[in-house]
Amino acid sequence: MVYLLNRLLSVALTLFLISIVTFGITNILPGDVAMMIMGTQSNPEALEGLRESLGLNDPLLVQYGRWMGGMLTGNWGESLLFNEPIAPLISQKVLASGLIVVMTMMMALALAIPLGVWAARHRDRWQDTTSSTTALLGLSMPDFFIGIMLILFFAAYLGWFPSSGFVDPTENFGGAVRHAFLPSLALALGLMAHLTRMTRSAMMGILNQDFIRVARAKGLPERTVVWGYALPNAIGPVMTVAGLQIGYLFGSIIVIESLFSYTGMGWLTYQALLNRDIPLIQSTIFVIAAVVMLVNLAVDLLYRVIDPRIRLG
Amino acid sequence: MLDQPPQQPLVSIENLRVEFDGESGPIAGVKDVSFTVNPGETVCVVGESGSGKSVTSLSLLRLVEFGGGRIVSGRLWFRPGEGEAIDLAQMPAEKMIDLRGDRIGMIFQEPMTALNPVFTIGRQLTDGLRRHRGLSAAEADARAIELMREVRLPEPERRLRQYPHELSGGMRQRVVIAMAMACRPQLLIADEPTTALDVTIQAEILGLIKRLKREFGMAVLFITHDMAVVAQLADRVVVMRNGEKVEEGPVERIFAEPQAEYTKALLASVPKLGEMRGKPAPEPLRIPGAPEPVATRPASVSTTGRPVLSVKGLTTRFPIKGGVLRRVVANVHAVENVSFELAHGETLALVGESGCGKSTTARSILRLVEPTSGDVVMDGQDILGLDAGGLRRARRNMQMVFQDPFASLNPFMRLRKQVAEPILNFDLARGSELDDRIAFLFDRVGLPRDFMRRFPHELSGGQRQRVAIARALSVNPKLIIADEAVSALDVSVQAQVLNLLMELQVDFGLSYLFISHDMAVVERVSHRVGVMYLGRIVEIGSRADIFEDPRHVYTRTLLAGVPIADPTQRMLKESAEFKPLPSPVFPAGHTRPAPVYDEVSPGHLVLRDD
Repeated sequence: MVYLLNRLLSVALTLFLISIVTFGITNILPGDVAMMIMGTQSNPEALEGLRESLGLNDPLLVQYGRWMGGMLTGNWGESLLFNEPIAPLISQKVLASGLIVVMTMMMALALAIPLGVWAARHRDRWQDTTSSTTALLGLSMPDFFIGIMLILFFAAYLGWFPSSGFVDPTENFGGAVRHAFLPSLALALGLMAHLTRMTRSAMMGILNQDFIRVARAKGLPERTVVWGYALPNAIGPVMTVAGLQIGYLFGSIIVIESLFSYTGMGWLTYQALLNRDIPLIQSTIFVIAAVVMLVNLAVDLLYRVIDPRIRLG
Repeated sequence: MLDQPPQQPLVSIENLRVEFDGESGPIAGVKDVSFTVNPGETVCVVGESGSGKSVTSLSLLRLVEFGGGRIVSGRLWFRPGEGEAIDLAQMPAEKMIDLRGDRIGMIFQEPMTALNPVFTIGRQLTDGLRRHRGLSAAEADARAIELMREVRLPEPERRLRQYPHELSGGMRQRVVIAMAMACRPQLLIADEPTTALDVTIQAEILGLIKRLKREFGMAVLFITHDMAVVAQLADRVVVMRNGEKVEEGPVERIFAEPQAEYTKALLASVPKLGEMRGKPAPEPLRIPGAPEPVATRPASVSTTGRPVLSVKGLTTRFPIKGGVLRRVVANVHAVENVSFELAHGETLALVGESGCGKSTTARSILRLVEPTSGDVVMDGQDILGLDAGGLRRARRNMQMVFQDPFASLNPFMRLRKQVAEPILNFDLARGSELDDRIAFLFDRVGLPRDFMRRFPHELSGGQRQRVAIARALSVNPKLIIADEAVSALDVSVQAQVLNLLMELQVDFGLSYLFISHDMAVVERVSHRVGVMYLGRIVEIGSRADIFEDPRHVYTRTLLAGVPIADPTQRMLKESAEFKPLPSPVFPAGHTRPAPVYDEVSPGHLVLRDD
């Protein structure tokens, strides 16, 4: 309980620091919101008037307080590009990208864990080499290239999955999954390498442990020994790496969503950056940071559920 | 049928050969080993590391395959129940798992790692039962509680839901034994089950195995390196070396009239508790086959004059932090008000069980950990008052030899450089003088000079420990602290290193602070002995005082737990109950009263219990 409190406190503190950085950066960049609204050729007096009415001439601290207050109360302002309130816009996109992130992680783990376990059980044999090569192949190719290959093969040639577009999962879940499948697979193949290596090394350490020998001496079948006894011990570090990869994933998602014309957070961030939609940029960065941190917190909590030794304290 | 197995024994190993893949072709871990185990019999397989004793036992369960081994030839006859003997070497793997844990149970050396840390004790005790006996969850739990009672684990109901890290080493080993006993095996294979345990717990566990064996009529195949344990437990003994059987026979015969030279050497290398009775000074062990120890001038201990080391009221505590603000909520009282003096040329041994604070005492003296309070005076110099530079210079006079020679040498550095490093650090010699000095040190610890260019991994454990000793000697220290310096070594190597330490003491007039858990070794090497328990010295005196006239109840318990390497003096108590060890953790601010000692004879102090 004390642990959870400590962690939440540190999450809040980190979010506070991130809010200062995002707020600061967008204020240091040349060109402000008023100019974005009225264009560079606008009348200086009208521009000044708009600045005054938007409160852009207030001291930075006041502006920050107003922005932060809005963020906390759900009033995130309006997107200049879409002319819509930001909060509902982002929540819809978070849902879309959330589907991709979850599917990516599920696919990456579903591929990496068996591959890593397989490699660990046959270390330094051909199975091990095959596993490393497969994993590295995914890592060494850029995501967008994998994406294009997947589109060519699964969408254009086989026609199993749509090559682009987005379906709202609250309206048609099956369709949403079908649309998210190829982008998720492209991302998963990129993440797989680290996870496979991590699984392999963690499993190799665990399989040499005495308690594995004890489990075998009890007459448990090898399947139970490996998947039931060893894997729960090895899964912790794998989960930690997976949690850290979420951050990296949001970088790749920008490219992949654009490639697949999938209108999620990545696509939205890209549009916001391209059009210097400052309020939207601030909000997207803030939301992504919060999601990454909350996911990592969840991973750490999960770790404590799996491993009783770190439950105390 | 030519393959007619012998009718009587439970296990009959015939011409077993096990190979492992080496860099240049297969390496034989076991070559042509044959012996039998009869129902209800205890057979001890004894040998040093690399003798193939563990590989033999793992082959019987066919677990050796998981470690990269192959049973190349030989038969492993086993008679399950009343039926015909079957050859385990030819058993298909899927049939083998039905025998493992059911007819044959196994316990291993290291109780701290033998249990799966993420599952409860209950689950680990019951999964074998549920698999082999098809019990329901409730039935298996009931049986698990019964098993824990059989191994004398207190509060078995509570243990079901506990995790391994909540249990002490002795308790965990009882769980491991209970697991192996779950299906009432006909054969229990025990691979060094007490090597990692303290002597008092070792005595309890050995007594337990003995009782279980008698109660359930099971045969025990006991693997060990410890001749004293063999003497206490075995009906028959198989001595192994380099993958071959050297000798086999009833335990009394092996100890009274060993036939093989190797068995004789092995027996001679074991320090036997009590054999130093009446001798005034430490004495090297006589090892047949090895050069006769150098004529032992009695080490000259100067009892007059200034002591080399004087420790007064040394206290070291480790804080335990908790709460949101990470404040100190409790302290581990690792060393509590410890005082002693060490004279020139003298060996003072600190003995005690794990967690008693003997190693922390050593580290506190060198200030490798910072003591909380007390005085340490080394050769007239107040060590605890020194600044960083002064401490560095002072450490020249006090060197340390650690337990694990695999970990205490830098794997990337040639041995010459490792021995030269302290000399260069204190700028004691250069150029040809440095070369001469290193050559002298290598000669002195009995290592060939061409070893200087080698790396640590090219040496055996004993040779590495010799390098560590040479490194400690290189700066001509007055005091050497040996922290379990021979505990990780095989007995024959241990004997040689002990002899070397004693020889060097006579030649260089060294003082040793000898930290050990092994009472028999301590009796061999020390002039004086301090017994530690829960951070305190409970009794200190001359070797004769402690070993011939122990006064404190803990000293007596400790001595009573030491197995004696003599099968005619069996002392295992089958009823040994579980005794929990009190905790050295006290709430913050807790002070323990200063210890009061009774001087029962000159220099023999006994703690008055509070």
